[in-house]
Amino acid sequence: MVRLYLPNDTSSRAAGAARLAEVWQERTGIELIRTSARGAFFLEPMVERDMPEGRMAWFNVTPDDLPQILAGKGGTPVNEIPFLRGQTRVTFANFGVTQPLSLDEYRAHGGLKGLEAARTQSPEAIIEEIRISRLRGRGGAAFPVWHKWQVARETEADRKYVVANADEGDAGTYCDRMVMEGEPFRLIEGMLICARAIGADTGYIYCRQEYPAAAHTLRAAIQKADEAGLLQSHGHRLRLEVVVGAGSYVVGEETALLESLEGRRGVVQARPPYPAEAGLHGKPTIVSNVLTFATVSTILARGGEWYSSMGTERSRGTVVLQIGGRVKQPGLVEIPFGATLAEALERFGGGMAPGSRLKAVQVGGPLGSLFPVSKLGIQICYDAFAKAGAILGHGGIVVFDHETDMVELARHYTVFTAEESCGKCTPCRVGSLRSREILERIQAGRGTADDLALLADLGETMKTASLCAFGGRAPYPVLTAIEHFGEEFRRLTK
Amino acid sequence: MDGKSAVSLEVVLDRCRHGPGQQPNILQTLLAVQEALGHVPFNVVGEIARGLEVTEADVAGVLSYYPDLRTHLSGRHLIRICMGESCVANHCSRVLRELRDQLRVDVGETTPGNRFTLEKVYCVGNCAVSPTVIIDDELYGRMIPSQVASLLDQYR
Repeated sequence: MVRLYLPNDTSSRAAGAARLAEVWQERTGIELIRTSARGAFFLEPMVERDMPEGRMAWFNVTPDDLPQILAGKGGTPVNEIPFLRGQTRVTFANFGVTQPLSLDEYRAHGGLKGLEAARTQSPEAIIEEIRISRLRGRGGAAFPVWHKWQVARETEADRKYVVANADEGDAGTYCDRMVMEGEPFRLIEGMLICARAIGADTGYIYCRQEYPAAAHTLRAAIQKADEAGLLQSHGHRLRLEVVVGAGSYVVGEETALLESLEGRRGVVQARPPYPAEAGLHGKPTIVSNVLTFATVSTILARGGEWYSSMGTERSRGTVVLQIGGRVKQPGLVEIPFGATLAEALERFGGGMAPGSRLKAVQVGGPLGSLFPVSKLGIQICYDAFAKAGAILGHGGIVVFDHETDMVELARHYTVFTAEESCGKCTPCRVGSLRSREILERIQAGRGTADDLALLADLGETMKTASLCAFGGRAPYPVLTAIEHFGEEFRRLTK
Repeated sequence: MDGKSAVSLEVVLDRCRHGPGQQPNILQTLLAVQEALGHVPFNVVGEIARGLEVTEADVAGVLSYYPDLRTHLSGRHLIRICMGESCVANHCSRVLRELRDQLRVDVGETTPGNRFTLEKVYCVGNCAVSPTVIIDDELYGRMIPSQVASLLDQYR
């Protein structure tokens, strides 16, 4: 019996792993182990097996490749794959190795060590450990995690909540999906640590509707964790539930997410009060991104000092990038903060897809700024991006090629923001729609030079007067497109 | 509405009823109704509102807010094309054009005979193997326009 490892995550399946499993299922002499994915999606479907010389991998496998794999010919040692070798895997260390729903494997690969450490510590000591790690929220806002926990801890209430924001709406990002599908116990562990630190007895994972496999895996993992007696907080059973949404990008904003969790329209609420003081049902609530919780367990296991030894002065630890678009090697990259965007693209992106040339790079999802080739020297850390008026967001990097029509791309962003604006504040609701109309007028050849000034003016109003970051960031992709590729816009205006 | 659906609605509403002192969850109720009926027709808004002890405006407000709550039945197969930026960068507009040509409908429309409904979606997190087309629950990655016809054939 030859044991073959094949990832079972959504993207690997879509790349062909589902088909391989279907065809090979009935084959005698092989045992298929369905693992998480390593994140090197350009190699998927990737099949691995243990050989005397270590774990070997076969890339872009088709059903007909089986004899070669069984003969042990043509494989590459996994630890020699350059895309993976150059990374510093912390949160994603076990990806591609373990079976997502095996608690034993999770434990055998270092899982639950953070929780065990936390259970020997006081809530104050846990928060102190997070403070020392200098972890900042990974959802996009980059707020110091310990501070939020401290506020929730110190706010008196009969009930407190832990909520994982799994509404990963930023196009170009999927690391939360990978955590939920690939190592769900890691998220659960992080939430349990948080529950202990703030004194919560109920947790929710708000998972977007577009991630059915993630919700399914999480529910199964919660049941297993419960059966193993893990769901404990302060001597009580922690109630942990997966709640699935119904679309809407803005629901990823924390106050909108809580509204949605209570079953109402997912509309942004003015802050303060912040959820850490008054959140779900008016009680202190920690809302954090999946990746943040997933990082917490390793910090508790290995210490805040260790985590903060990586990265730059104000961006500690590792950054999880998801490189996509027209590059040769799209996939997930975890490295310490501090490399430049150009280095990350060069070391991991592997150059452009055949026949295409790099034109622009967008970082941080659909509200992120566009960078032309001349601006790729920017350092990947919160400070450098803030200084450039850009965002790292959730680590999405999308590379556009020379065939991209920047006016059409700008219009695409405004269609998105006009459709997804929650409508609560006027600058965003009206501004996004007017921006779209102006761009459509320019595309139709009826635009004037004044229209570009009007777009800039509208953008300034949206930036300064919108209620939340959605309206505040919406103008950036459009304005950076005009800033760096203005000729394409001016060509169409009189 | 036929008798069978009416019974299911009642059952669903009964299941979603909130306990004393609890707030009703309109969104989760509507998702449960959609699960049972395939969509949430406008003519059941009143019954849902009464069941949850909220106003019809509360229910209609939630119903109209979320893109995945449907007030009309979609075709037998729901085709969604991802319009996330990674798909856009990989020229999903060309795949969309092919889908439109093959189906002869635009985004948001259903083919005559009710076989296919074409919709767009903003990112399903399949960015690394984009462009992505989703038919019902099945995801297809690395789509190129020339594959569209044979893909659709599997559902005809």
